[in-house]
Amino acid sequence: MNDIQIRIRDLNFYYGEFQALYGINADIERKAVTALIGPSGCGKSTFLRCINRMNDTIDNTLVEGLLEVNDENIYSAGLDVTELRKKIGMVFQRPNPFPMSIYDNVAYGPRVHGIKNKAKLDELVQKSLEQAHLWVEVKDRLYKNALGLSGGQQQRLVIARSLAVEPEILLMDEPTSALDPIATAKLEDLVQKLAKEYTVIIVTHNMQQAARVSTKTAFFLNGYLIEMDETSKIFTAPKDQRTEDYITGRFG
Amino acid sequence: MNKLKIWDFITWVCIGLVLAVLLLVIGHVVVSGIRFINLKFIVETTSNAGRSGGIRNVISATIYLTLSALLLAVPVSIAAAIYLQEYARKGRLLNILVSGIETLAGVPSIVFGLFGFNIFVTLLGWSWSLVSGAITLALMGLPILTRTIMEAIRAVPRSYRDASLALGAGQWTTIVRVVLPAAFSGIITGIILSMGRIIGETAAVFLTFGSTLNSISSIFDSGRTMPVHVYILSSESVSIDNAYATATILLVVIIALNGLAYLYQGITKKRG
Ligand SMILES: Nc1ncnc2c1ncn2[C@@H]1O[C@H](COP(=O)(O)OP(=O)(O)OP(=O)(O)O)[C@@H](O)[C@H]1O
Ligand SMILES: [Mg+2]
Repeated sequence: MNDIQIRIRDLNFYYGEFQALYGINADIERKAVTALIGPSGCGKSTFLRCINRMNDTIDNTLVEGLLEVNDENIYSAGLDVTELRKKIGMVFQRPNPFPMSIYDNVAYGPRVHGIKNKAKLDELVQKSLEQAHLWVEVKDRLYKNALGLSGGQQQRLVIARSLAVEPEILLMDEPTSALDPIATAKLEDLVQKLAKEYTVIIVTHNMQQAARVSTKTAFFLNGYLIEMDETSKIFTAPKDQRTEDYITGRFG
Repeated sequence: MNKLKIWDFITWVCIGLVLAVLLLVIGHVVVSGIRFINLKFIVETTSNAGRSGGIRNVISATIYLTLSALLLAVPVSIAAAIYLQEYARKGRLLNILVSGIETLAGVPSIVFGLFGFNIFVTLLGWSWSLVSGAITLALMGLPILTRTIMEAIRAVPRSYRDASLALGAGQWTTIVRVVLPAAFSGIITGIILSMGRIIGETAAVFLTFGSTLNSISSIFDSGRTMPVHVYILSSESVSIDNAYATATILLVVIIALNGLAYLYQGITKKRG
């Protein structure tokens, strides 16, 4: 079995005239947590959104280079974006549950993908909420509006919503930036558990968080991927001076 | 007194004046009309050209015309709003289209009436009828409806769309399952408000729906709506009393519709 699930070669990305990513090369391991760090505006979110082609939804953008998921070029002409996004879940910076019940939120993906059987949906909803460590808290209020949940619960809900379509990869863009320390700790714990079954890529501004949850870390600066290595190496013996400056807080 | 206080004072005087005038008009109509309103006035049909009897046929003609116009205008404007807001490429062409719609919304209703009269009543030979009237009013209502529905769709947070697309839903699925439900209350409010405008329309209705005191039994029947009834009763001095009574009912309906829209928005806002 191939250890590398996502292979990126010479990836350039443009918002109109503005180039946001320059010649990115990276290999992302299966069933591991990869952290993306770097100062604001360096292109972390842009990079993440290349992987599930969410950048397609922004007018006037351009991708160059190779991006393979499971050895398949995801920017090839015949690729089914729906299938790709089914395989790759995404958790956004701000929790964004739909204004519907908790149940309907989690069942949304499966329903969209054609599952109508009530028993099957019930099972998926429960399993996903359990995986997201939210089941116990919400099992008595499944039919209440999801917007009534706390921020931390909402973030776990949207993770459950992603898990319900049974993805292989989870992309998380600063998932804890809107959460308090307790909710953050819960979520970090969850991320590590998820990595047993899923490939996780997580963007974070929090060095400790990257150090705690990830096995690999990639440092971005001004659209370039400066350095990518074992997390322990990045934080103890980075090869590039700029990486060291960043993690020691000398800039950024 | 400093400058700020003077401006405060002037502002309050202006607001007071506006409110006073509004209350005066409404009060005058209601006081003059309420005496003649009773159950008979609502359930009986007009007799003697509106001098006596009730206005049941007038009320039902109003309902028929309003609902038919909405039935035509609402689906079209929802479709147009979805296209313009979600599919059309942002750019010059779209901007021109949208400002065109805004201009159309400001065109006086008599212009739509004239168009409807020449095209539907005369050219197509549908005479003064429910079809002619309904299509004319639908055309008149389309721009504003489209605009308000576009606003309602635009107000749906991008994060909802992103979440849906990222789960592998297509654009159309996202619109149907997430965007439209989230925009629902805004769409309903827009429909209720334009309904008020359609009900109150007089000139364009007079030109296309006519003013006969029929009961409507087919789409090619002509009829008389409440505003037209008020107009004819008063301008031809048929019965000022009944004009006021009809105007009172019309006023109540329109205030109720606006109140409903307001309440509805309040409720859905609170629910989140
Ligand atoms: N929709 C867009 N249109 C044009 N430029 C954009 C767009 N989104 C991002 N950019 C630009 O691309 C660059 C990278 O942005 P990106 O959001 O990927 O940074 P980031 O590393 O995620 O930053 P942050 O840590 O603040 O989230 C920035 O200079 C940003 O201004
Ligand atoms: Mg970002």
